[in-house]
Amino acid sequence: MKVRKDLNEIMNHLKVAESFKENIVHWQTIEEKEASTDELPLDIHPALKEALQKRGITRLYTHQKSAYEEAIQGKSIVAVTPTASGKTLCYNLPVLQTIINDANSRALYMFPTKALAQDQKSEINEIIEEAGLPINSYTYDGDTPSNIRQKVRKAGHVVITNPDMLHSAILPHHTKWVSLFENLKYVVIDELHIYRGVFGSHVANVIRRLQRICRFYGSNPTFICTSATIANPLELAESLTEKRISLIDNNGAPSGRKHFVFYNPPIVNHPLNIRRSATLEVRKLASELLKNKVQTIVFARSRVRVEILVTYLQELIKHKLGPKAIRGYRGGYLPTERREIEKGLRSGEIFGVVSTNALELGVDIGQLQVCIMTGYPGTIASAWQQAGRAGRRHSESLVIMVASSSPLDQFIIQNPDYFFKRSPETARINPDNLIILIDHMKCAAYELPFKAGEQFGSFETEEVLEYLAEERVLYQNGDKYYWMNDSFPAHNISLRSASQENVVIIDQTDVANVKVIGEMDRFSAMTLLHEEAVYLHQGRQFQVELLDWEEKKAFVREVDVDYFTDANLAVQLKVLEQDKQQFISSGEIGYGDISITAMATIFKKIKFETHENIGSGPISLPEEELHTSAAWISLHKDIGQFNQERLEQGLIGTSHALKSIAPLFVMCDPQDIHVVPQVKAAHNEKPTIFFYDRYPGGVGLSEKIFDGFQLVLKEASDLVKKCQCAHGCPSCIGIDSSSQTAKADVLKVFETFMNGEIHVN
Amino acid sequence: MSIKKKLNRLKSHLSHEVSTKSVLTTCQSIESEIPFIEVWENEGVTPYFFDGSYCLIRERRFPIDQQHGIYTFSQFSIAVNAWNESGMKHPLSAAGIKPESFVFFDTETTGLGGGVGNSIFILGHARLSGDEIHLKQHILPSPGAEVPLYQSFLESADYTTMATYNGKSFDWPQVKTQHTLIREHVPKLPSFGHFDLYHASRRMWKHKLERMKLSIVEKEVLGIERKDDLPGFLAPMIYFDFVERKDPQGMLGILKHNEIDILSLISLYTHLSFQILGLDQKQTAKEMYEIGRWFSHVGEAEGAKESFSRLANTTNSETAAAKHALAFEYKKEKKWMDALHIWEDVVDQGNEDVIRLEACIEIAKIYEHREKNLQKAIHFTRNAEAISQKLQSVNNRKLTISHQEIMKRLERLNKRLYRSF
Repeated sequence: MKVRKDLNEIMNHLKVAESFKENIVHWQTIEEKEASTDELPLDIHPALKEALQKRGITRLYTHQKSAYEEAIQGKSIVAVTPTASGKTLCYNLPVLQTIINDANSRALYMFPTKALAQDQKSEINEIIEEAGLPINSYTYDGDTPSNIRQKVRKAGHVVITNPDMLHSAILPHHTKWVSLFENLKYVVIDELHIYRGVFGSHVANVIRRLQRICRFYGSNPTFICTSATIANPLELAESLTEKRISLIDNNGAPSGRKHFVFYNPPIVNHPLNIRRSATLEVRKLASELLKNKVQTIVFARSRVRVEILVTYLQELIKHKLGPKAIRGYRGGYLPTERREIEKGLRSGEIFGVVSTNALELGVDIGQLQVCIMTGYPGTIASAWQQAGRAGRRHSESLVIMVASSSPLDQFIIQNPDYFFKRSPETARINPDNLIILIDHMKCAAYELPFKAGEQFGSFETEEVLEYLAEERVLYQNGDKYYWMNDSFPAHNISLRSASQENVVIIDQTDVANVKVIGEMDRFSAMTLLHEEAVYLHQGRQFQVELLDWEEKKAFVREVDVDYFTDANLAVQLKVLEQDKQQFISSGEIGYGDISITAMATIFKKIKFETHENIGSGPISLPEEELHTSAAWISLHKDIGQFNQERLEQGLIGTSHALKSIAPLFVMCDPQDIHVVPQVKAAHNEKPTIFFYDRYPGGVGLSEKIFDGFQLVLKEASDLVKKCQCAHGCPSCIGIDSSSQTAKADVLKVFETFMNGEIHVN
Repeated sequence: MSIKKKLNRLKSHLSHEVSTKSVLTTCQSIESEIPFIEVWENEGVTPYFFDGSYCLIRERRFPIDQQHGIYTFSQFSIAVNAWNESGMKHPLSAAGIKPESFVFFDTETTGLGGGVGNSIFILGHARLSGDEIHLKQHILPSPGAEVPLYQSFLESADYTTMATYNGKSFDWPQVKTQHTLIREHVPKLPSFGHFDLYHASRRMWKHKLERMKLSIVEKEVLGIERKDDLPGFLAPMIYFDFVERKDPQGMLGILKHNEIDILSLISLYTHLSFQILGLDQKQTAKEMYEIGRWFSHVGEAEGAKESFSRLANTTNSETAAAKHALAFEYKKEKKWMDALHIWEDVVDQGNEDVIRLEACIEIAKIYEHREKNLQKAIHFTRNAEAISQKLQSVNNRKLTISHQEIMKRLERLNKRLYRSF
């Protein structure tokens, strides 16, 4: 019988074994880093000092010290703190010291999830207890029992909550929180980098409302933010809080030795340059590790992938470890299920977890040795966050990134320098997106009447207030605008999702015990919960029997089939108004407002293992409409002697390459920006490629594309040129191209687009 | 592109309900005349000016011999005097309080649930003054006039003793919320004693009323019939319409609705007092039983015993339950033999097995611990076991005492008996 291998033996095995070594295209070892520390601040209270010493803290890391020194003086900061660098002291120390100095002081902590808030409550309470200080810290979220809520409001020095709770429970009831708002000294925003895109734009508006209420009660809190490594932490912190912020980035925490392996699955079809599926490769790698009981986290890009991998892995090792040793983790699971999994990981009962980026956040799941990414997570920041899940506590660890066939993945895996040397992504928000802004101005008006001429953060409110008065949502009396509606606006506004109504998933397998097993946003539901779709939940398969679109309910029943389903979305696009325009010699580029209608059309049944198509069916769901902003490029010239079909194929291929590169340049999640080619665009009848923001009203992504069009075109064109395939492959121009000229045609399209100076109109 | 144009384009993504009615100018300043002032004056409504703004006040007086449902207002004084004479301890007791000190209070708000944006637009209250009931309603003519509204409200009565319907958890917290917003401009809110008649009504009539809305209690219990009453849920809509068009017509309906609500509180307090004090001749057995339980709950043993004994001595739907409860009162007072006799009576004559089962166990306890008569204790425990089995075979009703518990008790008793030989 074989002896179990440890991590080092497994790494050696990967380096020598035939089945692995030739797929490893890059092996980067990141050496350990020594700690850089400084003395404890002189002014901290002896009890606090003693409590720290009891926890083995006699000196502070340099960034903790800097954070303390700035924050205690009331200067707002953002501290850049990689995983496991002791970020909590950056805020706990100044906050506790301030409360010791003045027992009336209050602090509000905001974490992106409830789980993180729970973690942090235990952490701060341990220090408070050890120091024997009369300081109350409480979490305030949906789970807080009503009998202690009053106590939290009146007597909580530190109130730990999440942006959703702040938005829907605290701010609309601010009169119950007078002692908090009158004495609010600090607002702590942890995991700042999470607040980007649509969610970040919402949260920025919640913070505008928060500061508005603070002004009403006469307080002006200092902001302490902590962020993972992103390119623009300072800019993000300043646009979220609209305050002057100091950047603290002298990270002094040590880190363990880390092996970062780029793994490219073997090519299985040379002419088409098709590689073996990343999912199957991950299955192979993960089972090797799990067999040896090496605790491993596997990240997958989508919910479906998570479920497929859980199914695979549970099957493979169920005799060795038992079915509960490997679990899935993603949005859509109920909170209790998630808590149970987190606990199992910490205690070591669970060896493997397959997760979407839900576990990227700092939820405490203890020390895992290995992290495997199924495909490039989409952003450099996100990749480092996921990698940080392995060996957080200074031990040697292994990170394996398995590339998929997608152009972006292939681009990254073949350019390791790009990944290791380039600065990570910029996080962008657009708090002035009108859809988002108006929702929050309604909430703000509910909380306190608006005064004519009052600014909402940096936004001039006049026109919006007039609009809302005309729509009879607000009522103007003298120079004030009052809420004039019987609804509670915060209840209809969700910070997390574009579509405001979720579809509830109801399991009716057991007729006597029908139960809700999860929920899903409306847009995802169109392609994942249509009738006959196979919905996967914790590795169990459910077939959707009925999707009640009106009531937003999907009724499912457990099944056992050997396929999964994949649905198509048909998209139509119209330009409504052009805001910006530039002419180039071959055509024009534009930016403006568009309308898109999307309709789920058909779905395919795809067999497990072989991934072959074994059937299909129609989907009958109503169209969804989206108004947003877009950038586009149109050709005025003919391209060579292309006929209609070659032109169409060329544009599709070009779009495919652009879609992979665009997220890298605007630095967003790939789902947030879409690329659509049209042979004859409705507005100018020219061949056109559109880039549009996925969120109604846009969050500024396509505008960035408009500003950097030439660069995006060049990088995408290089990607296609450098690709090893002969006539185009899934990794560069997409899978639909079968013609011999496809790749050359795409390059020709690029050339025509790029060939031309810009004439500013 | 201008923001307004953009807004119109994005309209379909904006979730608020868009009204189709025409838009009216909404500017209004204090210097301009109060719109529809003649209509208001005809209804006894006068403006109240304060701090550069105004609110409206509607006043009405009703003679105390006016009938409102099954009572006249003068009977309210009788109820208060009865409390002062009885000396019985009870949450609704008016001992030490003059009838004139009572303020009956109710509000109308722009929405349901608590929240800062849910504002109060009518604060109504009534109290006894000489031989009249004096009703006063403070009306918010439009948002922004909160300062005169609360100023006039706070200075117009002494709110030490207040009676409301669910005011403890709704109206008064809402008043506090709105008051917090303008606390620098108006007097402090008083602290006060609070009679919440909603909780009292729930206790009394939960068994027969599906919903405890005041309008239902009024109709089913107090015999009050409303004519052309506005359903309460329309009030916010009517108010918003009033704020825009200024025409008082709709508001008059809400004011009438609020008026009846407040007057009903007077009759409701009267009725509840008569019930508790045993002055209502038409009291049902169930009501009397609930009164007994209420006394028992608040530790007023004499009141509880009196209610239960009255029921126990006649034959009615509650006889067994009342005896059972009465026995518990004696047990509390350690009058073991009194309790024992009643319980034996319950076991012999009662026809409700659930009560008989509990009685058997109580008897067993007394025989075991007080009388030291293990044989009798075993006898009654066996008796309980038989009833328990019978109950289980009939239906799956959850019992307060499980079969398992009974068996345990039996086992322990047998052991003790064995040891004593």
